[in-house]
Amino acid sequence: MKKIIIGDNIVKSFGVDNEKHNVLDGVSVEINEGEFVSVMGPSGSGKSTLMYAMSGMDGIDGGKVSFDGRDLSALSEKELADIRRTKMSFVFQQPTLLKNLNILDNIILPSLRDNRKSAAKITEKARALMKKVGITELEKRDITQVSGGQLQRAGICRALISNPKIIFGDEPTGALNSKSAQEIMDIFSEINADGNAVMLVTHDAKVAARTERIMFMRDGKIVSELKLPKFDGMDMDGRVEKVTVEMRKMGI
Amino acid sequence: MYFRIIRNDISKSKLITLTTMIFVAVAAMLVSLSAILVVNLSGSIDTLMKQAKTPHFMQMHSGDINTVRLSDFAEQYSNVDEFQVLEFLNVDGAQIVIDGNSLVDNVQDNGFSTQSGKFDYLLDLDGNVINVSDGEIYVPVGYMKDGTAQVGDKVVIDGKKFTVAGFLRDSQMNSLLASSKRFLVSENDYAAIKGFGNTEYLIEFRLKDLSEIGAFETAYTSAGLEANGPTITYPLFKMLNAISDGLMIAVILLISALVVAIAFMCIRFTLLAKIEEDYREIGVMKAIGLRVSDIKKIYLAKYAVIAAAGCTLGFALSFVFRGMLLENIRLYMGGSENSSFALIFGIIGILFVFLAIIAYVSKVLKRFRKISAAEAIRFGTSQEKSAGAKHFCLSGNRLLNTNIFLGIKDVLARKSLYATMLAVLVISTFIIIIPQNLYNTISSKSFITYMGIGSSDMRIDIQQTDNISKKAVEIVKTLERDNSISKYAVLTTKTFKAKKEHGLEEGIKIELGDHSIFPVEYSEGRAPVKEDEIALSAINADELGKKVGDVITLVIEGKEKNLTVSGTYSDITNGGKTAKAVFSDNSADIMWSVIYAELSDKSLVGGKTSEYSDRFNFAKISGIDEYITQTFGSTISSVGKASYAAIVVALIITLLVTLLFMKMLVAKDRYSIAVMKSLGFTNSDITLQYVSRSVFVLIVGIVLGTLLANTLGEVLASAVISSFGASSFKFVVNPLSAYLLCLLMMICSVLIATIIGTSSAGQIKTSENLKE
Repeated sequence: MKKIIIGDNIVKSFGVDNEKHNVLDGVSVEINEGEFVSVMGPSGSGKSTLMYAMSGMDGIDGGKVSFDGRDLSALSEKELADIRRTKMSFVFQQPTLLKNLNILDNIILPSLRDNRKSAAKITEKARALMKKVGITELEKRDITQVSGGQLQRAGICRALISNPKIIFGDEPTGALNSKSAQEIMDIFSEINADGNAVMLVTHDAKVAARTERIMFMRDGKIVSELKLPKFDGMDMDGRVEKVTVEMRKMGI
Repeated sequence: MYFRIIRNDISKSKLITLTTMIFVAVAAMLVSLSAILVVNLSGSIDTLMKQAKTPHFMQMHSGDINTVRLSDFAEQYSNVDEFQVLEFLNVDGAQIVIDGNSLVDNVQDNGFSTQSGKFDYLLDLDGNVINVSDGEIYVPVGYMKDGTAQVGDKVVIDGKKFTVAGFLRDSQMNSLLASSKRFLVSENDYAAIKGFGNTEYLIEFRLKDLSEIGAFETAYTSAGLEANGPTITYPLFKMLNAISDGLMIAVILLISALVVAIAFMCIRFTLLAKIEEDYREIGVMKAIGLRVSDIKKIYLAKYAVIAAAGCTLGFALSFVFRGMLLENIRLYMGGSENSSFALIFGIIGILFVFLAIIAYVSKVLKRFRKISAAEAIRFGTSQEKSAGAKHFCLSGNRLLNTNIFLGIKDVLARKSLYATMLAVLVISTFIIIIPQNLYNTISSKSFITYMGIGSSDMRIDIQQTDNISKKAVEIVKTLERDNSISKYAVLTTKTFKAKKEHGLEEGIKIELGDHSIFPVEYSEGRAPVKEDEIALSAINADELGKKVGDVITLVIEGKEKNLTVSGTYSDITNGGKTAKAVFSDNSADIMWSVIYAELSDKSLVGGKTSEYSDRFNFAKISGIDEYITQTFGSTISSVGKASYAAIVVALIITLLVTLLFMKMLVAKDRYSIAVMKSLGFTNSDITLQYVSRSVFVLIVGIVLGTLLANTLGEVLASAVISSFGASSFKFVVNPLSAYLLCLLMMICSVLIATIIGTSSAGQIKTSENLKE
């Protein structure tokens, strides 16, 4: 299977000269096309930093990250922005929608930058995505007029508008109640089933249990990896159990 | 504790603190400068007029004079303190040669006088009464300023040589607006050259009670005494002395008011942004039980320090610049007795600025009361609601580039935030356009039509000579034959008696002829066209108590003639008291004639002027441009300087405020910028969004500023201009410089400021702002 991201011996450190602290201490990760992976670990283990390093959102201090065959550290700010706009997208814990725009405008925003002429087509697609996640009636609403779960769905629609190869999620269900969280995970499963790769960073064993590969991190290193079969809606409890056992084993 | 907080705060926001301080300093400097200038100007004028003992009433007269009758009148009239008749020897400019150059192109009536005995002294540059020796000549100070003469230069008049011993201040005729200039020579020399020109008499009075000047004027006129020439009174002398520098002070005052306003706005949005930044801390302080007044003190203390530093700096700067601005006043009028007052007024002005800032900051900080501690701690920002522009949707946008759309949308959604910047830009536009328009207006040829002079190309004055009408006819004949003259008008001035209330009569100078050929600007009504119509100058209308439509009765050869006032106009010529009518008259003596002519080819003006000068040496012939330069020259140049200064000031303001504002905005919008970047927007996309915001605000600002400048500004400028005596006027606009150039310069400043101001947006790390 083709690999979209290859992270090789990634080092990322914070702090000043002689008090440097490696948040990522030589991490190597590979993600395949259409794969559904998650990263787990305690606070400060470096899981979010890993995600930002692999997406090129943050620079790295050592090692190499290749996206779609291109070395991210060799790319200019513009080329990186181009990749972010067309080949990958993000869903954050807090829905990062812009205040001034209504829900629909927020969703079409990234795609519209390059294809203003096909705005009608993009809007069409946005409406289809909104229908898929169940927020059709909200398109003209202000972002202050909808719930957190609805905002997160809008955020996912925005992530999908440009048909990315991979979607990164940084605790995408972290701010939601359990019912909303479950619905959002259903949507992620569906997205993955449609062929997009998904990489999630999470604290939540239930979220991780939905994915097919779980990487466990501690102190800037991947300490263990758990593989699960593709989720088919069955045996959720068993999957969660496996994840929690592994977590306990790793002392997480 | 305050000291530590203030120090930390200032070191964290050096640029903002510095900018705010600069604005305060400039505002304080301008306020202090205008206070110092006003006090000095009025003081200098008073000192000069006191030292020179300026006459309270002066009647110029050419022709025969009956001095016995005049002294009888002076003795009988109890309010007269002193009386004298001075001689003024009017010599044609061509005959006065200074250092090899004649004054032929000079439009002033140059002439010679001896030092006066009782009052109306001519003073040297130290303010002392000049004692002139034989062979020496003292030259009007204006000729020192324009470089016409230097001490030691040789002056030749009628073959007689003089040496320039120094320069003189003439409390009557210092101003370029006064049309005569007196050179001072000794009694012996005066006697020697007396036959060379025409003698004019200055009949001068000083009164015991100056407030009775009006009554005295009436008494003088009704006594039927010598009155063949302009009449000028003390208040007009004062005004003539004050105009040039007064106008400069008015412009400085206008600018200082605007800069104070901008300093306030600057403080407002830095303060609001600071509150935004400290939102959570303020909430915490409230939550732990600090009083609003305690929290306010922390913020107020910082601004007190900035204001105090700015005011001190401004005061110091005003010392640097005041020498430059006072130079003209000092040269023409000498030092002021109350210069220490000037200092006190300067300090009062600065204190006023300081207190106003503190009061303003205190008012802005009132919003602390509205901050809910709980909300502040939970959200960390004020929960501003996005308002407006709901229908301006990205999904419906086909026209604009997405980044430009986002920029404009942001401005529309957060109008109140951008209002401050808009206001600054409106004011900047205003500051740029008003002085420019004012400058264009007063330097344009048509401006003199507000001053009582018709707009023509060439002006021929025939006065102080006999057979004026014959000479005028002679010139007219030449004009008729001259193909290059497209039109001309002969205006003849005569004195008539006008009936006032209670049977009193007053002399009134009426300019007769066709006033429709080279019309002046009428503030009310129109030019006289019928035999029974008359137009009055503003001052005359005021003194005679006549309005348009009123009837004025003249007494001509014992018969009464009723004339209806058809219009009023502003005039600064001949003491401001003139009238215009069209009736023909053969009774009264001609005082002077003026012939205005227009050339079909404007480039010939110079040649024609010298041609006619050579041919008609009895007349004074000047190109109108020259006339303007020499009459309003210094006024125009000071307004011109002020207008350039205004452009620089406005551009600096625009640049700094935009820079500051953009820095604030980027700090406030960190989160949105991080989101944009995570969505794949490049740094240049983000810069373009901010540029669109500022250019959009700028365009609105320029439109509003221009509209305001052409409405409110015109009214304001009218008020300034009315100090000339012009009561209503329209701006003459040079669209190229006023609009295009200003627009370009402002766009450049805003662009530069926006690009520099938003450069920090590139450094905003998505991961740091969005990471959970």
